[in-house]
Amino acid sequence: MEVLQEALGLVLDWQVLAVILGASIFGLFIGAIPGLTATMATALLVPVTFFMDPLPAIGAIVSATAMAIVAGDIPGALLRIPGTPASAAYTDEAYLMGRQGRIGQALGVNLVCSVIGGVIGVAILAFFAPLVAEFAIQFTSDEYFWLALLGLSCAVLVSGSDPLKGAISMLLGLLISMVGMSSVSGQMRFIFGIPELLSGISILPVLIGLFAVAELLRRMPEIGRVSLPTPPSVKKTFEGVGGILWKYKGGMARSGMLGTLIGALPGAGADIASWISYALARKLSRTPEKFGTGHPEGLVSASSANNAALSGAYIPALVFGIPGDTITAIIIGVLMMKGVTPGPDVFTTDAALVNAIFIVFLLANLLLLPLGLVAVRGARHILSVPSGVLYPLILLFCIVGAYATNNSMLDIWLMLGLGLLAYVMAENDFPIGPMILAVILGPIVEGNFLRSMIKANGDLLMLFDRPIAATLGILALLVWVAIIVSTLWSVRHASRKATPTQSG
Amino acid sequence: MRINDLILGILMALLGAITVWASRDFPSLPRQDYGAGTFPTLIGTLLVVLGGVLSLRGWQARGAMFAWQGDVALKHAMICVLAVVGAVVGYVLLTPVLGFPIVSLVMLTVLIGWLTGGRWWLALTIALVATLLIWMTFAELLLVPLSLGILEEVIY
Repeated sequence: MEVLQEALGLVLDWQVLAVILGASIFGLFIGAIPGLTATMATALLVPVTFFMDPLPAIGAIVSATAMAIVAGDIPGALLRIPGTPASAAYTDEAYLMGRQGRIGQALGVNLVCSVIGGVIGVAILAFFAPLVAEFAIQFTSDEYFWLALLGLSCAVLVSGSDPLKGAISMLLGLLISMVGMSSVSGQMRFIFGIPELLSGISILPVLIGLFAVAELLRRMPEIGRVSLPTPPSVKKTFEGVGGILWKYKGGMARSGMLGTLIGALPGAGADIASWISYALARKLSRTPEKFGTGHPEGLVSASSANNAALSGAYIPALVFGIPGDTITAIIIGVLMMKGVTPGPDVFTTDAALVNAIFIVFLLANLLLLPLGLVAVRGARHILSVPSGVLYPLILLFCIVGAYATNNSMLDIWLMLGLGLLAYVMAENDFPIGPMILAVILGPIVEGNFLRSMIKANGDLLMLFDRPIAATLGILALLVWVAIIVSTLWSVRHASRKATPTQSG
Repeated sequence: MRINDLILGILMALLGAITVWASRDFPSLPRQDYGAGTFPTLIGTLLVVLGGVLSLRGWQARGAMFAWQGDVALKHAMICVLAVVGAVVGYVLLTPVLGFPIVSLVMLTVLIGWLTGGRWWLALTIALVATLLIWMTFAELLLVPLSLGILEEVIY
């Protein structure tokens, strides 16, 4: 109880509250604009959070992402263009509801379900994270090595249709993380005589380059080509929402829990959670034929799931310090910059902070309702901001943001270089997610491996000596078998596809 | 722009080979087989192998070496990339001389004016407001040393 009071005291500070409100509005804006994702909102926020204490910093990122995911539903329902990938699963459904004159209802369902899904996620997070932490406190470097490797492997496996490209993207990320002084041996690596690289490539220019600059490069040529149609005005936002929610309460609860679970899995995030919940809702529905015609059932499930997944992703991130998706990778990066290393110890040494984080989560999710309503009403204005004005502003913000943490021009060069790299990679179907996870996880994998080897006198088999470590290790190896099998299959497939064209 | 996997794979394998070569001298930990060179060598080796598989697959698929798809003209897309690169390089090189306010103002005005198809007054207004806001936030509030450049002599 004392801890909870202390935590409340931390959160109910006007600065923290102001940061949460400001970040929510920022996330709302970015999420509502098609093409700008929740991850981009986070990447743009990080330079500012760098100057804050840990709690407001996390609060800012949590509220901005939650709001961005919700706001992403708005252009989906109004214009059939999902604002963020997490809304893509049910964009058609919401849009078709709108065509039937139920646009307010569709957005109302989105909004309320997002809040409920988010709250379910937070509840599960707050309940399970301390339990898992208690269990994880016995983990040694063996377990952490396998856990981090498992995170990386799953990220590659779920990254897209082509695990080979995912694996290469991961390797590039690992390579970036190797630059600088090795944390175990103190050896300088790949610094090319640049003293600023001694402490490694800092995470911020990497983030901004990969998620903001690369996106700008991809989106900029489209300016002026597709002019967004004027969105219809939204009336009667909450009409009939209560009835729909009551009717599908089972689906909502199921998706909230499923979403949290999927979010907690390494590699899978809000977008995958919403696709899976939508598919599952269709499968379990009594009226599956109505899906895809403007039927609210799938909408209820999927929009609860994507917000629940956001909270779920924080379970492995806070408990083990192992990020499950790009956003938590960013959070861990921010926490490490602040000198807080996430892990089970944080739950005992800094219990107030952890509880304060949970409260911030709850607050951010509850804020979704009033702010989401404002966003729905103001959607016309947000969507009318021309990209031609917006993109240069984002570019300048990227530059200043990359510069701000270390006051170093080198970081701006790195941001540009990595942005160009990510642009070329994305154009050629290389997923970017595994790369950023690898940048964060690289030092964790390497450091724990070397520590384990020092303890075991170089005996590799000792990595399997403890039961949990052995289980995690076997899981990680199985994931790699899956990756290798599907890669080999794709090589064979490519040659078979090529043969007919050759003969014909 | 789509580049054939054959070329991308070779590039990755080459990068891997360079990594392996560059990490050959990293010492291992005392009385250990492993050390600072273990991971870079492993990553480099895997890049060589996976890059090899990628190029093999690209070779088997026999596509064009370079292809442009999508409904935006290649030339326009390249101009946009060059504009972004130009803006960033210009910022890095010119800010220490001219100072943040001037560079930011010019950069935003030019880019917004160009992208909105010549609405220069709008561009100038937004550039002014945005420069002021960013200066207030980063230089005044967060105390980031954004350079004043030649403006320093004007103000002081």
